[in-house]
Amino acid sequence: MKLEEQGREVKRKSINIGNVFTYALLVIGLIIILFPFYITIITSFKTTEESAANFFAFPKSFYLENFKAVVHKANYFTYFSNSIIITIVAVLFILLFTPMCSYAISRNMNRSKYHKFVYYYLLLGIFVPFQVVMVPLVKYTGSLHLNNQFGLVLLHITFASSQAVFLLVNYIRSVPSDLESAALIDGCTIQGAYWKIVLPLIKPMLMTVLVLNTMWIWNDFQMSLLILNKSPNTWTIPLFQYNFKSQYTFDYNMAFASYLIAMIPIIIVYALMQKYIVSGLTQGAVKS
Amino acid sequence: MYRGSNNNKRVCKDKWVMIMFTLPIVFLYSFFFLIPMLMGFYYSLTDWNGISENYKIIGFKNYIEVIKNSRFRNAIWFNIRYMVLLVIFVVIISLIIAMALNRTKVCSTLFRSIYFVPAVLSLVTVALIWNELFYRVVPVLGQKLKIDWLSSSLLGNPKTAMYAILAVNIWQGCSIPTVLFLAGLQSVPTELYEAATVDGAGRWERFKNITVPFLIPVLNMVIITQIKSGLTVFDYIKAMTDGGPGNATEAVGLLIYKYAMQENKYSQSIAVAMILFVIVGIISIVTLRTTSDKQVEGG
Repeated sequence: MKLEEQGREVKRKSINIGNVFTYALLVIGLIIILFPFYITIITSFKTTEESAANFFAFPKSFYLENFKAVVHKANYFTYFSNSIIITIVAVLFILLFTPMCSYAISRNMNRSKYHKFVYYYLLLGIFVPFQVVMVPLVKYTGSLHLNNQFGLVLLHITFASSQAVFLLVNYIRSVPSDLESAALIDGCTIQGAYWKIVLPLIKPMLMTVLVLNTMWIWNDFQMSLLILNKSPNTWTIPLFQYNFKSQYTFDYNMAFASYLIAMIPIIIVYALMQKYIVSGLTQGAVKS
Repeated sequence: MYRGSNNNKRVCKDKWVMIMFTLPIVFLYSFFFLIPMLMGFYYSLTDWNGISENYKIIGFKNYIEVIKNSRFRNAIWFNIRYMVLLVIFVVIISLIIAMALNRTKVCSTLFRSIYFVPAVLSLVTVALIWNELFYRVVPVLGQKLKIDWLSSSLLGNPKTAMYAILAVNIWQGCSIPTVLFLAGLQSVPTELYEAATVDGAGRWERFKNITVPFLIPVLNMVIITQIKSGLTVFDYIKAMTDGGPGNATEAVGLLIYKYAMQENKYSQSIAVAMILFVIVGIISIVTLRTTSDKQVEGG
């Protein structure tokens, strides 16, 4: 009896020590994650003199001039609306075209050589990093006068298609086709069956595609840099930030204000839709 | 599929609809992916500088020149070192965080939400913030803590610049693998641990014999995604060092960009890109082979 109790005691203690260690580790991690945000927030509310006096201290007053400067002088809202428009238009077309294509592929892959070919043809894109095509691509879009926002949207749709089709085809193949077949026998057209039956059934995967591509396009830097960098009024937020850095190297309080302002929209969206965003981003990684 | 009304006309029409459904994507993909890729390969066999009207075909001379070039070899070496370190650190750190998160009950949702935040930010924003931190904050901390190598900017020193970029990449890159590992850990049935504990298995043995086999699919995925991101790193470097100091952080992606956009070595730039393609291809085939072997062993 006694021995057993002692054993339990020892076990409880070791668990407690283990727990303390676990929490200590997690808190250290948390500090490492949050530290850059802390610096960003306090610095963007301080004047240059205040920061020079003590970089780590809390701001003494609620100094908003940095933000005003970013918004007015640097035209933040132009870039913000550019980013919004490009992201929304591209994602809408991705959600319109890729499920259609994936549906056709997954229902005909075993019967039609054309669809089988299209599937593997599109899959090739997953294995080719963007950097391999980017240089000839920019020359090519330039010659088509597409180095503008419209061209960027087309490129986003193109380079999202391989992964989206791959994810959707696998998902649709796991959905039984009985319902559509019944509808088709009843005289429904393929378009009708697709729209009314298939799309609602594949909603979870559509959500994943939506989240993945929204995040990807909103945060994209490399493609925007190549296509839009020469015309400042078409810049997206990441591009604006990149260029803002070289324009205002000395006023780092303003720079931090610009980082904060750029992060706010995505952090609000994350706070509101955390569940979808986490599952979307991780699912995207799992399945491809 | 349509056994009901055996109408040949309709079957034929349906076939067309099914082909039409694929056309928008097939056209876009052919125009903006395949054609540029083929054009790129063609230009890599010429001596075109990207601007002049005349050029001639010179075969594989660009490729030979590129491989001989020390700048290219330096870039490849940078990417390989960077990739290996990235994979190792991301796997270890995110596994540790996931195991810690898996044990917590108090505040665990809060911890999880915050640990995921870096994943939603743009790489450029993160890079620019850390850039400022490396110039203004980290040296101050280094001086206060009397750590010599931290006392001056890590990004300004050719020897440490890569590690600074790597640190930023790890700061942001662990978020998604952590969630993946956490899901993997939660898929392990708790009965197994209990049974093993009853059988007298120690902590390390339980980890090795129960946890690890369950995590192997996740591990494969994390390794593959990190290999790809390590070999194609661009945004961080462009925003932080632009390849410097000297050529210390000039990754292959940046070399392609600079050759084409700043140095008028258009055809050579594409030759570099094609070599990158081959390297990425070989490495992904090798990893896919070895990881799928392991999966069978792991059961």
